[in-house]
Amino acid sequence: MRMFATIAKLLVKRVLTAIPILLIVSALLFCILRILPVDPAAMSLPPNATVQEVEAMRAEMGLNLPLYQQYGIWLNKLFHGDIGRSIHFRQDVTSLIGSTLPATIELAVIAMGVATVFGLAGGLFLFYVRGTRAEAAMDFLSILLLSLPEFLWSLFLLLIFGVFFEVLPFTGRLSPGFERPVVTGFLLLDSLITGKIPTFLNALEHMILPCLALGIALSPSLMRVLRSSLLDAYQDDYIQQARLRGLSEKRILIRHGLKNAILPTLSLMGVQFGFLFGGTLLVEIIYSYPGMGNLMVDAIRNADLPIIQGAGLTYCIAVLVISIVVDSLYLILNPKLRVR
Amino acid sequence: MAIPSANNPILSAKNLCVESLGGKESFPVLTDLNFSLEPGKILGLVGESGAGKSMIGRTISQYLPNGFSVTKGTLAFDGEDLVTMAAERRRNLLGRDIAFIPQEPLSGLNPVLTVGQQMKEHLLRIGLAAGENWRERALKEFEAVHLPHGAALLEKYPHQLSGGMCQRILIAMAFASRPRLLIADEPTTALDVTIQARIVKLIAEMQKRDGTAVIFITHDLRLASQISDEIMVLYAGRPAERGPAKQLFSAPAHPYTRCLQLANPNISGPRRGLFILPERMPGLRVLKELKGCRFASRCPNAIEACTETEPPLADIGPNHIAACIRTEKTPDIVPPPLAPGREIASTRIHLNGEKLTKAYTTAWSPFAKRSAFKAVNSVDFTLGEGEFVGIVGESGSGKSSLARLVVGLDTPTDGRITLAGRDVTANGRSEKAYRRQYIQMVFQDPQSALNPRRRIGSIVTQANEASGLHTGARERMDRAAELLKEIGLPPDAAMRFPSQLSGGQKQRVNIARALCTLPRILVADEIVSGLDVSVQAQLLDLLLKLRDEHGFSMLFISHDLSVVRYLCDRVLVMYRGEVVENGETETVFADPRHPYTRSLLAAVPPDDVNTEWSPVAAEAGYQIE
Amino acid sequence: MRPLPLWLKSGRVQTGLVIIFILAVCAIFAPYLAPNDPNEQNLLSILTPPIWADGGDAMFPLGTDSLGRCVLSRLIFGARVALTVAFSASIGAMIIGAFFAHVAGYFGGWVDWLIGRVVEIWLSFPPVILSLILMVGLGTGLRNVVLAIVLVDWTRFCRVLRSEVIVLRRRDYVSAAQLVGFSHWRTITREILPGTLPLLITLMSLEMGVAIIVEAILSFVGMSVGSETAAWGQMIADARQNIYDAPFNLIAPIFAIFFAVFGFNILGDGLRRTLDTRLTQTERT
Repeated sequence: MRMFATIAKLLVKRVLTAIPILLIVSALLFCILRILPVDPAAMSLPPNATVQEVEAMRAEMGLNLPLYQQYGIWLNKLFHGDIGRSIHFRQDVTSLIGSTLPATIELAVIAMGVATVFGLAGGLFLFYVRGTRAEAAMDFLSILLLSLPEFLWSLFLLLIFGVFFEVLPFTGRLSPGFERPVVTGFLLLDSLITGKIPTFLNALEHMILPCLALGIALSPSLMRVLRSSLLDAYQDDYIQQARLRGLSEKRILIRHGLKNAILPTLSLMGVQFGFLFGGTLLVEIIYSYPGMGNLMVDAIRNADLPIIQGAGLTYCIAVLVISIVVDSLYLILNPKLRVR
Repeated sequence: MAIPSANNPILSAKNLCVESLGGKESFPVLTDLNFSLEPGKILGLVGESGAGKSMIGRTISQYLPNGFSVTKGTLAFDGEDLVTMAAERRRNLLGRDIAFIPQEPLSGLNPVLTVGQQMKEHLLRIGLAAGENWRERALKEFEAVHLPHGAALLEKYPHQLSGGMCQRILIAMAFASRPRLLIADEPTTALDVTIQARIVKLIAEMQKRDGTAVIFITHDLRLASQISDEIMVLYAGRPAERGPAKQLFSAPAHPYTRCLQLANPNISGPRRGLFILPERMPGLRVLKELKGCRFASRCPNAIEACTETEPPLADIGPNHIAACIRTEKTPDIVPPPLAPGREIASTRIHLNGEKLTKAYTTAWSPFAKRSAFKAVNSVDFTLGEGEFVGIVGESGSGKSSLARLVVGLDTPTDGRITLAGRDVTANGRSEKAYRRQYIQMVFQDPQSALNPRRRIGSIVTQANEASGLHTGARERMDRAAELLKEIGLPPDAAMRFPSQLSGGQKQRVNIARALCTLPRILVADEIVSGLDVSVQAQLLDLLLKLRDEHGFSMLFISHDLSVVRYLCDRVLVMYRGEVVENGETETVFADPRHPYTRSLLAAVPPDDVNTEWSPVAAEAGYQIE
Repeated sequence: MRPLPLWLKSGRVQTGLVIIFILAVCAIFAPYLAPNDPNEQNLLSILTPPIWADGGDAMFPLGTDSLGRCVLSRLIFGARVALTVAFSASIGAMIIGAFFAHVAGYFGGWVDWLIGRVVEIWLSFPPVILSLILMVGLGTGLRNVVLAIVLVDWTRFCRVLRSEVIVLRRRDYVSAAQLVGFSHWRTITREILPGTLPLLITLMSLEMGVAIIVEAILSFVGMSVGSETAAWGQMIADARQNIYDAPFNLIAPIFAIFFAVFGFNILGDGLRRTLDTRLTQTERT
């Protein structure tokens, strides 16, 4: 019970501190994009518009007001769920983000699972081979892996499994001919709900490469942190003391070593998983995956300000949500923070 | 008193040798260790750091550091050799028949598990009686070690408990299986003196209850002689002397034992001088080449024959053996006469603190209210010209915080400090500059006090680098050479880095830096704690010598009462941020008024082995924990 | 002759330095090393395979791209952009990050609080997204790429160094320096900075690898240097269009990026080990 109270307290505190962060971030986003050399008014008019028409449009869009007033208006609209209309797609930004965000979330969540599994297994393996000849080789290998970022992994896996062996699909989310069920917006979930197992399997097949690319790219740093935290934990007296009480090595590792070593690993995961959302952008482009990353890059190429602002803010919220989730987990696992 | 030897020993070592592998060579860590320990007896293992005393515990568990191995001999537990025993069999004995108590109680328990979870894990492993619930059993074991509120304790995490409580829990765990052998490796070093006394008494009590044989490892000969039946003094990996505790302590046969005893200041009776053992124990590399007695280079009684062959352990009394060929000369070793008390030049008060208070607050944040904790509470003190004033107290008593106020590292929240007639309470730029001419500080931990990336010569003359004092490189080198000479380091030390010095040498450098600008007042915070007795004696001697030369006064902070008694003219006793007693050292120690001072004094093991040590009784009037 | 310093004896450091040296030679002497002009289009020989494959042309050892440009020459010239960005961005990020880290860690209090909150805001953005948005605001060009990376990555230095400064700040030798009358500036530069330097150098080395990746990402989406300058990310983007016809065109720049990043990472790891810096959790975030 007391644990729930402390976690609730943390959640409230974190959400409260997230609000000023989001306000500042939105202001920064607004300002950075206002210093752009492009004129949003001119862009939303046909190229043959007259100067008067542009001026009228500027007035209508509020562009001749002082910057802080513009920001106030923008923020006010934001509170009412209106981020504006895309200049390029001529659609509400909210609905554009709403239709692409679930795909990105699915990708990110599965990739996190992959990264966790690979990271923990690899970390345990690295720890297991400590002091042996294999250690140096494994350590070297982990640095090799560390040098391949997710976007190189994406291309690499695409070349091997998509182009050379042609065993896995690498464009989009579904092969042509499959119909997309829409219930929640999450494709995997929706195809299961509607009972379309072939669609589900096809979608899953499409996710293997992007998720592997993201997950594998993230795992080496987790491996290395877990390994070094385990090594640190094993320097501590309580491990030696557990040995002197005659506990088995296996029990010491699981109950005493891992339980302590998981804490630093977890705090790294908080940061890394936040950054993973940035990684999805590249992976989405490479695999033509219809998520927020593709939307964002399209917007950037077309200088589509409302989308850039909206998507930027969404990424920021995603990072904050993940860090709050990880912090709560950390709190559950670390009694030093939980009870005083 | 003869120890019956007919009994079957629970642990016996025969010609035990442990070596460490460094590169391609191997070095002797323990050499020809022979002893046997009967059930129900306590063997005290005494020696300075590097003597190899902790290696014995590690050899018993066979969890030796990397590169260490037993190269010769046997170590038998109940007749079975622990070294050659199958690992699984040995692991079975650990925790059940052989138990350990660690040096650092706080880190000996897993921080993410509750005391209950760890207790349960251990109790289930050693096995419960039929129908017995682990919780009831745990509470029973807690009761046996006098831990109150056992049920609540089970829910606690280690970080919520004090060091003394953690050590009690570890003792409860160790004795839960009624072990036949217990190894206690410096179990009280990390604890405050008053707690230390209680823990030692508790181990003795539990040992008596179960008839457990105990190996009690300590650097403190006085403490070992109080608790042990038999004592073995180790020097550089080899036993120097072994014998019944009382006999060994009252009439040591080996010169090293005698020197060790005389290097430690006494707590009762008239003050005597300290015997200064020169230099330090030979390192592993030197030992390997050494032909004669290991102690010969430092021994006051050494003759040429000592450097030729290693002396055997010879009988010198019932059950008493020593590795020395001139044991009859050992009683001739006497401490030098006590330096005559220095005449205090004038009574003009140098430093004066009035109602000094320091409250520490939590980290700055615009939202949270900063909570305050009074580390120093309304303390009055004076320090006269040439005077040495000791401040004693346990951890958390505020003595270090007081030091920081005096030197100006912190600004008092309340009260007044005057220095040589000027009010320096405000601690602004000009006060700091003024204070700098008069006061310098010697820090506690030489590891942290010396910048590892500076050379010694640059550290000791650091003051010359400060603004307004710029001097040329030549002058600095000369000053460094002078300072090194004064503190007894070779001139070539100036070019070395701190990591190339021993603990005692680092502390000398630490003192030299403070002396560079010839301050009138030194503030020394626990500068001899954690050092070996022989090194401690060297440093105390150095401080007195320097006082004679430069005539500074000193605030000497320490938890060690015998050191304060040796060095200081007056003493302040601090408890929870307040001064509870204040007076001439001799008066306070002979006739303590405050119950806390009494319990502090009672916690020190007496100099005379025949005096009853009753720390717990004296404490009854003042609850510490 | 004086013996090599410990850090230079490490095989990892040596490997890293050799790789960086090779890249630096490529970058500096690119006009002499490259067989062709990297921007010269040979529309008669587009997408030729590398020299060892069937139909390879000795004029283009690694083949040509879809516009008939020499892949090898573009790789060699691409090293210029990569290394320029790696060195200038990491130095810039280091200076800003280290400055704020030392100020925050040394003075503590509200300064530390404020800097901590700024870093927190920065970290609420995935770095790739933030650098993309900055590039939108700043416009393309080499100088802006460097600026964007500096503005994004100074927090890496700040965060890690700050905790190190706090550890060193508590050392008694810092108090001792204050007691003999060192000014704050002198205490930081003489007592604290030498202690954080190994960590700083290690982080720099890792940051160079990160900068190369970020530049490649930016040029991959066309938000880095203009198309007239050869960059590895651009080569990847071009080659992706012809993935079936000329997979080698894709493999070559991937390998180049990997090679460079590996060089900086292995150097960083070697330095971390030999300079004895503790870099556990935040190693490469």
